[in-house]
Amino acid sequence: MSDLKEIFVNTQHCTGCLSCKLACAVQHSKNKDLFSALSQDPKPKSRLYVEWLWGNTKVPVLCRHCEDAPCVNACISGAITRAENNAVITNTDKCIGCWTCVMVCPYGVIGRDKDLKIAYRCDRCPDQDHPACVDACPTEALTYATVDKFSAEKRQAASREVAQGQGG
Amino acid sequence: MGRKYVIVGGSAAGMAAAHTIRKKDRNGNITVLSNEKAQPYFRPMIPYIINGKKRPDDIFLSGSGIFTQGGISVKTGFGAKSIDFQKKTVTTASGEAFLYDKILFSSGSTPYLPENIEGLDSEGVFSLKTLSDAQGMAKRSETATHVVMLGGGILNLKAAFALLEKKLSVTMVVYSPEVLSQLMDPKDAFPIRNALDNAGLNIITGISATQVLTDSSGVCGVALDNGSQIACQMVCVGKGVVPDTGFLNGNDIKIDKGIFSDPYTQTSIKDAYTAGDVAVAIDPVTGEKTVTSLWTHAVEMGICAGLNMTGSKTVYTGTLGIMNATQVADVPLVSMGIVHTKNSEYETHAKKTRLTYRKIVFSKDGTRLIGALFIGDIKNAGIYRYVIREKKNINGIKSHLINHTVHYGHFMQP
Repeated sequence: MSDLKEIFVNTQHCTGCLSCKLACAVQHSKNKDLFSALSQDPKPKSRLYVEWLWGNTKVPVLCRHCEDAPCVNACISGAITRAENNAVITNTDKCIGCWTCVMVCPYGVIGRDKDLKIAYRCDRCPDQDHPACVDACPTEALTYATVDKFSAEKRQAASREVAQGQGG
Repeated sequence: MGRKYVIVGGSAAGMAAAHTIRKKDRNGNITVLSNEKAQPYFRPMIPYIINGKKRPDDIFLSGSGIFTQGGISVKTGFGAKSIDFQKKTVTTASGEAFLYDKILFSSGSTPYLPENIEGLDSEGVFSLKTLSDAQGMAKRSETATHVVMLGGGILNLKAAFALLEKKLSVTMVVYSPEVLSQLMDPKDAFPIRNALDNAGLNIITGISATQVLTDSSGVCGVALDNGSQIACQMVCVGKGVVPDTGFLNGNDIKIDKGIFSDPYTQTSIKDAYTAGDVAVAIDPVTGEKTVTSLWTHAVEMGICAGLNMTGSKTVYTGTLGIMNATQVADVPLVSMGIVHTKNSEYETHAKKTRLTYRKIVFSKDGTRLIGALFIGDIKNAGIYRYVIREKKNINGIKSHLINHTVHYGHFMQP
């Protein structure tokens, strides 16, 4: 099985604090620190979004780096490729801002940089051990793990819930 | 000895199929026959060859996107001339014969040249289809000062902008009441039209050309059906494309507009498949047969054909007759599904600002999303495409679709 890591979302833990968005924008700013990021023009952009749902559920939404990614197939300039860490990456030098990827992404997580006229999305912070959003998340709504580890933990959590349910 | 795959046509569909086959079948023998001289390239990028922003090296497929496999023999300059389905052989214009076990027809399309316009074979008349066309246009534009574009489709608009950037003056002659009439109703085009006018593109609508005028240096003008003439040194015809099926003439293969394809991309003949511009696919929204000329569709269908050719039976989910995204004159645009609603009974909702326009179209009974047109603001276009193409149940999210507040969370299982 693959030992490549992915960012997992647990909506039940998300409080909507937006720490992830702030950390993402800072990480993708020129100097990668909060204070200079605030004064950067144009403002650095977060590559993930926190949406609100059904009463009070918060849903962090970000590029899933799909196995069979529609954006990779659709890109007309060859800008979108899969990197060694399995992330789907938009090469900013090759992107021409035709927005075909925006048109085909079913998650709606590819942004349009109006200043640079190119597309942007989660790059899983290639220079860091952990993506900035995951490090910033105070509630473990975002975690960075291999699929195996994540599903094993999910199974354990589910069995704990079942056990508690039986006990109660 | 591995299975022999022959692919006729080396652009989006053919190369997507070739790379897919290579991933699935490590021992197969894959030969791609391309009638172009250049190695396969990202065809939609050729407007950037006209304005010099890209060099041919920058737009070659090899190594980019899904085109990362090795061990594919691409024979450039080899146009298919005839097929013998009994002997399972394809013969090229140069006389070489290639045996196949599985063959893919992905020969693409050629520009449509209206017969009622005289002189389209003159020097200085172009249709932007190949890298070589783009290089020809780049060369001619070095000396030309004024160019006339015939047709107001997306490709001609891109070519027009490439020429505007080279400081040529550009007149676009459009027979329809407005540019981009395939992608939207004329009245919906206002943000684009304003931007085009502001960018200095001279657009004449409701007019047709009748003749290309020439002198010793080739094109010197265009005569129009209102009796007037426009002086120019270059003409670019963008009147759509027709599937390139000429090499199949005389064969007993089902052709109706393009090459017939069953749901598994197979033609009416065993071991022969088709994908891309030359293939007829079913539009999941209208249920009608459709041929399109979109890179994205060609790649998706090519991947599907590649899977089927290696024995992984895969249904092609279909081609939206209308689907395109682009940016013209700094205005982003996405059009998909059924977007022409003038005099129709579809339930439509439009939201307009000075610079943006978002229209969404539901079926007559309002239960299904069937189209969307976004100009200036294309946020979440992919979610709308997903709902249209997958015919998603819109119970509970319809108001979000109408108010443009829909997001991926709405599709998660509660």
